[in-house]
Amino acid sequence: MEGLAGSAAFTPAWHLRAASCAVKWLDGHPGLKSFLPFVPIILLWAAIAHSGIFPRVFFPGPWDVIASFANLIYKGILPDYLEDSIVRLVLGAGVGTLTGIPLGLLIGLSPLGQRFLWPLIVFFQAVGDIAWLPILLIWFGFGLTTMTFVIVYTVLFPVVLNTVLGVRSIRLEFVRAAQSLGAGRLRILHEVIVPGALPNIITGLRNGLGWGWRALIASEMIVGTSGVGFMMFDARRAGQVTEVLLGMILLGLLWYVVDGWILVPLEQATIQRWGVVARTD
Amino acid sequence: MADLTIRKLGKTYFDLYAGRHVTAVTDVSLEIHTGEFVSILGPSGCGKTTLLNMVAGFIPPSEGEILLADRQVRGPGPDRGVVFQNFALFPWKSVLDNVAFGPKMRGVPREERQRIAREYVALVGLTGAEGRYPNELSGGMQQRVGVARALANNPDLLLMDEPFASVDAQTRMTLQEELTRIWEARHPTILFVTHDVDEAVFLSDRVIVLSQSPGTVRAEISIALPRPRTWSRMVEDAAFKALVARVLALVRDSNRFGAVPAPESPAG
Amino acid sequence: MGPNAVTRGRASTLRPRVVDAAWFLAPFLVLVVVWAVVVRAFHVPLRLFPSVGDVLQAGLQEIQRGTLLDHIAQSLTRVAVGAILAIVASIPLGIAMSTNRLVAALLTPILRFFAVLAGIAWIPIATLWFGYGFGAITFVIFNAVFFVVTYNTILGVASIPQAVRNAAASLGATPRQILVEVLLPGALPNIVTGIRTGMGYAWRGLIAAEMIATNAGLGYMLFMARDFYRTEVIILGMILIGVIWLAMDRLILAPVERRTIERWGLARRMGT
Repeated sequence: MEGLAGSAAFTPAWHLRAASCAVKWLDGHPGLKSFLPFVPIILLWAAIAHSGIFPRVFFPGPWDVIASFANLIYKGILPDYLEDSIVRLVLGAGVGTLTGIPLGLLIGLSPLGQRFLWPLIVFFQAVGDIAWLPILLIWFGFGLTTMTFVIVYTVLFPVVLNTVLGVRSIRLEFVRAAQSLGAGRLRILHEVIVPGALPNIITGLRNGLGWGWRALIASEMIVGTSGVGFMMFDARRAGQVTEVLLGMILLGLLWYVVDGWILVPLEQATIQRWGVVARTD
Repeated sequence: MADLTIRKLGKTYFDLYAGRHVTAVTDVSLEIHTGEFVSILGPSGCGKTTLLNMVAGFIPPSEGEILLADRQVRGPGPDRGVVFQNFALFPWKSVLDNVAFGPKMRGVPREERQRIAREYVALVGLTGAEGRYPNELSGGMQQRVGVARALANNPDLLLMDEPFASVDAQTRMTLQEELTRIWEARHPTILFVTHDVDEAVFLSDRVIVLSQSPGTVRAEISIALPRPRTWSRMVEDAAFKALVARVLALVRDSNRFGAVPAPESPAG
Repeated sequence: MGPNAVTRGRASTLRPRVVDAAWFLAPFLVLVVVWAVVVRAFHVPLRLFPSVGDVLQAGLQEIQRGTLLDHIAQSLTRVAVGAILAIVASIPLGIAMSTNRLVAALLTPILRFFAVLAGIAWIPIATLWFGYGFGAITFVIFNAVFFVVTYNTILGVASIPQAVRNAAASLGATPRQILVEVLLPGALPNIVTGIRTGMGYAWRGLIAAEMIATNAGLGYMLFMARDFYRTEVIILGMILIGVIWLAMDRLILAPVERRTIERWGLARRMGT
């Protein structure tokens, strides 16, 4: 389609053919497809920085960022901060998932559980993780407990919501089939409900990690003493734009890679093997 | 294998959209003897699926009782196997694991239940597909797995809810012949729900015609056609055609007038 | 058919709604009661956790002083301005981008990249470029909404079946007409979903940004209260943040989303 009207003078659209060839070729090389689009952006960035429209202090170029990256790696600061951030995320996400899945199953399967827990979940999700920081600081001060709480809190909601959706989207027939084959309630839970909800649970995990990542950065900025978020905030205080940009790029890159290359394939694998089920974001 | 007795069965529920009570089934009484193949035939919405769901134990009746081998039916259980219209195979389990599910629930050890499963997979003609997953199979193949899965659990009664409605016409005929073949070999007791008159007459020993809302028994017709039955033979058979015509007339009559036609005497 | 069937009409939908609302509030009542009892029974000090009365009192005080309404107004204004700017910018951009498959293929990864970065991560850069205050915060909110809505717009246009577009072309529609009559309405369910998601990001980003980058608004109020250990103000603020977002989301955004999806049928969601 590509917006062509009926102009007869329009030659067989060679550039359109070239474009769709390009897209098809890109489709065949997923690695390139993910990263190639960034090349023009980087070039554009370099051009703007070099042109001096903005003072170098405010708008460093790609080479500045790379230099800073190398410097921080050399000093050992960056690997340490990265490690700190990742450890916190994994810890928080782990606790959040282990709590969230049973909670989601409970809400999905028990009408009483749903009546009581669902409104609470909705409300506390609305309050949001960041709003908890002040009270957490009073209770636990600056430190790992506070940050872990925030991450667990954030991860919890997508996991619970998606688990509930997963349970609800299991076709009644599967449960009935299992019942008519002699399965008791516990058996049904473990043979039908959990596998049936699994694709949604993985989606929940994926979203949860995304949210958790953001929560981590936010809490590191506000209350952290180490980690990538802290680095960005601290650099801002010192006026070091380069490090701020570096932090942003690292964040985006890390998430992009983890999500696109680990989580999405995992999600797709279960869905492909088992067939399509209901999705949510 | 056991006898099924249904006495004055009824089901009424509250329809949220209509805002009133709806009677799906009323005053249904029938008996099915061990080893019989009985079809319940009726137009869409006549309550036949509701009836089947009650016998299966998925929904409780509002009135009347259901007895299997003189025991009251309460809730679903392995004594009544079900074959579903939409197959309801567990998508996360292979063909073999699906068929072995019933034995697994009974606690049969792994090797034994896989052996049983393989036997039933062979019975439905799917040897070689044991490792495949449901969404890799065609509709016809999936339903064969559904039948194998229900049979592998050795139920007293096999309930089939319009099992061939979701496959194309050619596949349907093949599956009907397969089902007849299996039944003629093993004689499970089967209660088969359908809206397809040809199918009902082809498969059954007896056809029970249900009228439209509320569903109630209008007629029972014995099908005394010789066995084994194949489509190539039936298509030419005069007795078959006569029976189909009679049953069809009954179904349509009960549709239009709702009056009870005179009780039918057994054919030939 | 019973005699009541016809006469019930509107009243029949009202009562279940009231019942539903009551059921929804019930767990909170339980929570409040538990809260009141626990604080009393264990003599929990104000420094640790306020009592129900403390919070109510603080609320009244702040309202009287006028500060509370001021903070709320500030927060809402920022969110509104940032969100409106972002929506106005992103929808046309998204539609323009998605009429060309190559451009879509090029830009989608970049948008995904920035969509994750949205909100909080922009705060340091925002304060550097715009200084503290309204500008920085609006920038953060803008980003939170902009990338998600653009991404969803592109997704929405992509989800319009080619057959529909072909039908329009074969009925003589010019590209511009196709844009207005086909692409925009067709992408609308996804766009609305994107807006709703973006607003969620925006609200959260707002609170975080207000904590560190300004001197007015709910986030600021919360953070300042911490310095003085005024837990009653903190809890008040948290409750308000939750209630305001719930009100915005459930009473405004969700119905709009539901109505567009219901009217136009199937909606595919971000991430599919």
